[in-house]
Amino acid sequence: MTGVASGTESGTAGAGNGGFAAGLLDPDVEVPAEISGRRAATRRYGVYRNNVVVGLIDALKAAYPSLLVIMGEMNFARVGRHFIAAHPPRSPMMQDFGAGFAEFLAGFAPLRGSPFLADVARLERAWLEAYHAADAAPLTGADLAGLAPEAMAGLVLPAHPALAVICSDHPIGDLFAYRFGRPERGPDLAASQSALVTRPELEVRVTMVTRPQARFLGSLAAGQPLGEATEATLAAEPEFDLATALALALQSGAFVRPLA
Amino acid sequence: MQTILSANLPPSRFVPRPIPARSGVGLKAQHVGDILETAADIGFFEVHAENYMGAGGLPHAQLRAIRERYPLSVHGVGMSIGGEGRIDPQHLARFKAVVDHYQPGLVSEHLAWSTHDDVFYNDLLPLPYTGATLARIVDHVGQVQEAIGRQILIENPSTYVTFAESTWSEVDFMTEIARRSGCGLLLDVNNVFVSAANHGYGARDYVAAYPLDRVQEIHLGGHAKDADDAGRPLLIDAHDREVADDVWALYRLVLARTGPLPTLIEWDNDVPAWPMLAAEAERADRLIGRNRPPVHVGLAGVALVAQ
Amino acid sequence: MSKKTAATAAILAGAMTAAISMAASTAPANAAKLKCYGVALAGQNDCAAGPGTTCAGTSKVDYQGNSWKYVEANSCDEVVIKVDGQPDRMGSPEPIERDLPS
Repeated sequence: MTGVASGTESGTAGAGNGGFAAGLLDPDVEVPAEISGRRAATRRYGVYRNNVVVGLIDALKAAYPSLLVIMGEMNFARVGRHFIAAHPPRSPMMQDFGAGFAEFLAGFAPLRGSPFLADVARLERAWLEAYHAADAAPLTGADLAGLAPEAMAGLVLPAHPALAVICSDHPIGDLFAYRFGRPERGPDLAASQSALVTRPELEVRVTMVTRPQARFLGSLAAGQPLGEATEATLAAEPEFDLATALALALQSGAFVRPLA
Repeated sequence: MQTILSANLPPSRFVPRPIPARSGVGLKAQHVGDILETAADIGFFEVHAENYMGAGGLPHAQLRAIRERYPLSVHGVGMSIGGEGRIDPQHLARFKAVVDHYQPGLVSEHLAWSTHDDVFYNDLLPLPYTGATLARIVDHVGQVQEAIGRQILIENPSTYVTFAESTWSEVDFMTEIARRSGCGLLLDVNNVFVSAANHGYGARDYVAAYPLDRVQEIHLGGHAKDADDAGRPLLIDAHDREVADDVWALYRLVLARTGPLPTLIEWDNDVPAWPMLAAEAERADRLIGRNRPPVHVGLAGVALVAQ
Repeated sequence: MSKKTAATAAILAGAMTAAISMAASTAPANAAKLKCYGVALAGQNDCAAGPGTTCAGTSKVDYQGNSWKYVEANSCDEVVIKVDGQPDRMGSPEPIERDLPS
């Protein structure tokens, strides 16, 4: 009785929402017993199953558009269903959903031979988090122009809320670009690329950086003072060009003004 | 990673602005450019609260620009009012932050649940209408209203199944929720049509029995046609096309009884280019205009939202 | 100040001046545009229903390998997705025979 006929206040509790939820992500579970005419309600209950499963796969596709092109619709949807079964959303904010996809891919045995997928997922996730990150005015050259030389080494530059540095042994930049269309020639899968993710204003930027630059900017982002980060990077990467790396940090809006 | 918005958003600079008795449109990010450039003549915009719970960036920049120019309605889709668990305090805090910051003219949620045992199913799921579920929903609506310090509207659902244990009709259930919690109602006319068709009752009878004096906003959207196990039509609340002619007819019937009310066009899947949405809104506006009293233009809508 | 610290300070001072001038020579980012560049349609909550009664939600998750094709087309320019237990075949569209874990 759910239409316009009147009702009474009595009523006993059935299996409740838990009974209804049990089959939403698991097609092997039968139509919940508490549904009226359950024997003939497979397609009716199926509407909810579809809403949930297809909705979550679509959300994952929208969050990982590069992987969607790389893997293809069908493969992506299949992997997505495994992911959803293992990691259903725990937050009512859909922007949080899929945060663990990179880790899932890294541990997904059938894809062990394609480790670059997880790194592409890390970069795509960083893009999305940058998109939603808090607004902050980036550090500019003018902020640093008056700095006394002796104060520079001890300077700690706070990371902009959108900043992420993704180091990889795979061509993640070329693979990330698949979201703009499949290239005529696939990338050299043996190449290593690292990426800097920033959002100086409203637009997220993904900049390819060299390994020494990634190491240096990552150290700064982790809170290392400028002097220490410089020394550590130069020790490991003698060809490191500090001026270019600092210019890149300023242009991309990687940091914010240190507290006075 | 969960982000809490309240800590990041600047203090609100918006003063409350009531929703006029005109048509509005569900805001889509891809339309914001067109809306601003053409200074679209739209009565109000409505957004899903959950899409503005991030810390910053383009979504908030767009919504601030819209809110500066148009009245705004905030529609929650994830509070799980019909859930068995308690209202998620973290989510309620985020919801309150959105309401506090944007100062919407109306705030609404659904007669549905979406979270169970900490899993968020991302869908508006149905519940039996019993004394027990009624008490729970009244309690949850009260919690939300208390937290945000204002009345909310509760929307009637589109459903595809019914429950053997239900002892209340949906109309009586909605009436009682409103009476006990003090909430207002959002009448989704397409949902009435879809549920009536799916469960074999009369949509006009539903409207005739509905507590229309509690209704402060109307939703209209497109539905898809499918079939159930027996091959009978099963309508799906897809929001992926124009409002059906039968739904427009039902809407006219509602308007004739309520007078002008804020009316939202919902189009969430296969979202068309802006002009098509604007045309749907114009169609609703014309119908609202026909029911507008010759004097005191728009007063009804203003009076209804004055809390 | 140790020798190393002094050297670092000197490097830093020089590099900073160069960096500020390099950064300044590039046009600054455009002012806030609210139009549709980079609009993320990801992670959107909505209240519409999905594709009806017969779709992915009602089909069983296929754990069998024999219909998994991780590569869409047979082209040497495709990214080759290697599936564990399979020989590395460039863009092979052939079915994968190994069962996949749940």
